[in-house]
Amino acid sequence: MSRHDFGKECSVKVNRRTFIKGCTMAAAAMGLSEAMVPKLVEAAASDQRPPVIWLHFQECTGCTETLLRASHPDIGRLILDIISLDYHETVMAAAGHQAEEVLQETINKYQGKFICVVEGGIPTKDDGIYCKIAGRTAMDILADVAPKSMAVIAIGTCATFGGIQAADPNPTGAVGVRDLVKGTPVINISGCPPNPISFLGTVLHLLTFGKPPRTDALGRPLFAYGRKIHDQCERRAHFDEGRFAEQFGDEGHKQGYCLYKVGCKGPGTFANCPAVRFNDVGSWPVGQGHGCIGCTEPQFWDTMTPFYERLPGVDMPWGDGIVTGANSAGIKILGVTAAAVGIHAAVGIGKKIIGCGRCNTSSEDQE
Amino acid sequence: MRYEQHYAWSILLRLFHWSFALSIVVLVVTGFYIHFPWTNTLIEGETSFPVATMRYIHFIAGFVFTGAILARLYLLVFGNKQERFWDFLPVTPRNISNMFHTAKLYLYFTEEHRPRIGHNVLAGIIYIITFIMALIQMLAGFYMLYPESAAWQKWGLFFLGSQQQGRHLHFLIMWYFIIFAVAHIYIVIWNDIKTREGLISSIFNGTKYISSDNP
Ligand code: HEM
Ligand code: HEM
Ligand code: SF4
Repeated sequence: MSRHDFGKECSVKVNRRTFIKGCTMAAAAMGLSEAMVPKLVEAAASDQRPPVIWLHFQECTGCTETLLRASHPDIGRLILDIISLDYHETVMAAAGHQAEEVLQETINKYQGKFICVVEGGIPTKDDGIYCKIAGRTAMDILADVAPKSMAVIAIGTCATFGGIQAADPNPTGAVGVRDLVKGTPVINISGCPPNPISFLGTVLHLLTFGKPPRTDALGRPLFAYGRKIHDQCERRAHFDEGRFAEQFGDEGHKQGYCLYKVGCKGPGTFANCPAVRFNDVGSWPVGQGHGCIGCTEPQFWDTMTPFYERLPGVDMPWGDGIVTGANSAGIKILGVTAAAVGIHAAVGIGKKIIGCGRCNTSSEDQE
Repeated sequence: MRYEQHYAWSILLRLFHWSFALSIVVLVVTGFYIHFPWTNTLIEGETSFPVATMRYIHFIAGFVFTGAILARLYLLVFGNKQERFWDFLPVTPRNISNMFHTAKLYLYFTEEHRPRIGHNVLAGIIYIITFIMALIQMLAGFYMLYPESAAWQKWGLFFLGSQQQGRHLHFLIMWYFIIFAVAHIYIVIWNDIKTREGLISSIFNGTKYISSDNP
């Protein structure tokens, strides 16, 4: 390892070259022109850049992990370098009362100027007692911090749509940030976990332009969630030409054919995974041979499962709420209809045969 | 028994009926294929695009279907007497009694047929449900067809939920149309045999024959 590399690995701060490289990547992901890069760099390097408060609620810290453990440490460092992270339970040195003091101090000092990042769902049932930090419920903390920030970035599907704890039957009444925070802009970076570049791009956009990027109807930035996976997928040619993996490990799967028949949810999912990819090594789930599970969509645990089937089953209202495949439900009802038609016709013919005498006279009447 | 000829269905309604019915047949066949593309192209580099082609046909038929349903919505208000929705919904005492009577007739509780120039009210209710289903199906279809359009996204999210939920609903409503078609074709034939009013030919040529003995 050369001295230069060693120095790079050790330094907490990234060097200028990496810094500009990161800003350029984010600009590309946002579809901004190259000419914007100096502006992004300037905003990100400014001393007046807004501090960030990072709140953790019902979550697994996976979103933080993806940011910090990008295989190439540059992105993680870059983010830590660009944003001045004043409060983040996982990475901050302070703990206990000290940490809570920092939180209060930042909120008061930078009112209306800091960025609030939320990771994790917020339980609302029973006054939100199912998630407490420093004796306060997640609901209280959010209601305290979010309205004082310039913008809230909800990172991950838990913070955006409630995530796994909001899955049926949602025992803690978990919801996403947008359901609770009104009046402050909320930007949703959904995904389980989301791509660090989408987060970085959003932060840079906020720093540079002072306002959130354009979003879709669910509050997700269009630069990252404006297009379906299926419409950017490298296996799409196989889809159009009808070449499919019929099951995992078969010949079609080995050949890299489309994963539609093994339950890929790419046709119903908005995200930039095929374009931006993960871990700086150009990989993403479908590239690895596993169908998309639709993790950026609302209620994906309920609507995208079973993950290896095309569509979810149908909850039958009768019985104990039997779930059957959508197809077999349809076939059953069709069968009942056909039987009803058959019985109806048989009764008609039967009546005709039994009441033959009467029928004949009446039909003679008609003629 | 004497029969009088009555003009019941305008040309536009008959055009609606057949473009609607035929487009649905095409949509069900291609929709099933999109749901489960049972073929598997084994040779690479072939110039056949079965899935793309089936989707293309589905979309063309989808536009025919949409045109048909829009025409029918127009006729619901501006069509001739039989085509307007208040003629075949249980909104007047006469229509309500017709609804119960038709139910009895279909259950073989009575043999007495009370002729009407337009739809019987039981059928009318089912047709209105079918038009509503058609509108939902159309919305779900365009929601999936134009995923990047902000307008369709707004409506789709509001009425249907995410793309996946829209797809699921789109698939389930397909079964409604299949089941409707089976029941519809049966009951139309049944009525045609029973009443001898030329019901089936009326959807081709527009005229029905109503017995002048009981007006
Ligand atoms: C009675 C009418 C219709 C029926 C029975 C029908 C049926 C279906 C079915 C079964 C699917 C496959 C769903 C799945 O398993 O994922 C489908 C997909 C689709 N349909 Fe329809 N459909 C109808 C009308 C329409 C209309 C009016 C449109 C609008 C143009 C439309 C557009 C679409 C689109 C865009 C897809 C998704 C195709 C894909 O992503 O590959 N459909 N339809
Ligand atoms: C061989 C096939 C068919 C025949 C002979 C047929 C015949 C008829 C007849 C005679 C009527 C008028 C019945 C009445 O006055 O109540 C009618 C109405 C209707 N049919 Fe069909 N039909 C066929 C297929 C279909 C299919 C496949 C569909 C759609 C799935 C369909 C949808 C409708 C609708 C919506 C009406 C109501 C007309 C209106 O007022 O708009 N039909 N059909
Ligand atoms: S693998 Fe999934 S996203 Fe890719 S083309 Fe097939 S269905 Fe679409």
